[in-house]
Amino acid sequence: METLYINAEYTGKVELCNDALDYLRKKKYSRIAMYASIQFVNKLEIVKKQLAENNIAIITSKPNRANAVSQLLGCDNYHHSLNLKEEELTEIEAYLYIGDGKFHPLTLVFAQKDTLNKKEVIVNDPIQNKMFLVNESDVKITLNKYKSSLMKFLTAHKIGVIITIKPGQEQFQPALALENKFPEKKFYYFIDNSVSFDQLENFPFIEVWVNTACPRIGLDDQEKFARGVINLNDALRVEEILGSKSIPGDEL
Amino acid sequence: MTLYHLDLEKAITAIKEKKAKTVCIQLPEGMKPQAEEIKQELADKTNARILIWLGSNFGACDIPLGLQRMGVDLLISWGHNRFNKKDGW
Repeated sequence: METLYINAEYTGKVELCNDALDYLRKKKYSRIAMYASIQFVNKLEIVKKQLAENNIAIITSKPNRANAVSQLLGCDNYHHSLNLKEEELTEIEAYLYIGDGKFHPLTLVFAQKDTLNKKEVIVNDPIQNKMFLVNESDVKITLNKYKSSLMKFLTAHKIGVIITIKPGQEQFQPALALENKFPEKKFYYFIDNSVSFDQLENFPFIEVWVNTACPRIGLDDQEKFARGVINLNDALRVEEILGSKSIPGDEL
Repeated sequence: MTLYHLDLEKAITAIKEKKAKTVCIQLPEGMKPQAEEIKQELADKTNARILIWLGSNFGACDIPLGLQRMGVDLLISWGHNRFNKKDGW
């Protein structure tokens, strides 16, 4: 079966609103990283011109899963996924996201969750013709719960690994790396079409979950997992993230 | 005037070129209310039977499974473009 994708581009004008321009001038930014969702990514000419007129250089990239330069997907929410060079990550002073809603720009907040020098994320919504900021305070509860889930994973013995079977999401083979990394733990693999959150409580022996489907499930849906959930790649580098040199569960 | 281009001509052309008999359309949440007009236009301009995916459309990674078994020969998914899967993220 063939699949045809239709981008559904925004029909209106895409430009920076006055508030966004004022804010960028006030902050005296000279180098920003710019991204947009697919509905806006091919209509950034005016925005580029406005930034140039204000002497603001644009750095951008084609993130890992995206199909166009500057396109931001919600799942490219790890720093390396943006495919920015190290020097670019250092040089940029802020992120600018063109589009509506908070889901996509929060990608840029989550992408910085393990970094010290966090850059602010400015959103310019061409539909509402307004600007707003998204930052860690928007996801503070989520990130606190996430850290608690990471710590829980360290000491847990019975881990539920969630694998969804849609071809774009399925990560069974990569998930098996958990067995080598944590031979003292028991892993139970749960297969689903989409994650059935209401089924989780039917497996009370699971101490904590590892999500291998969309990485945003491990973050945005944290509260739907009473026993906590972490993403696969964070599970594989949990000691590094928590800054611990040894795994407290190892000696058990 | 809608907020987003539906690009129905592109969809109609694809259905005709592929001689698709049964087509499933998949829409993101915000476009689902437009399913009626999309279905009507595609049905009027082609000979295909148009089915509407009820479930999620989180992204291009979220393609329905099992459509081939019921004879769907083309899926048209709005709001996303091709997805580059990365093993292990």
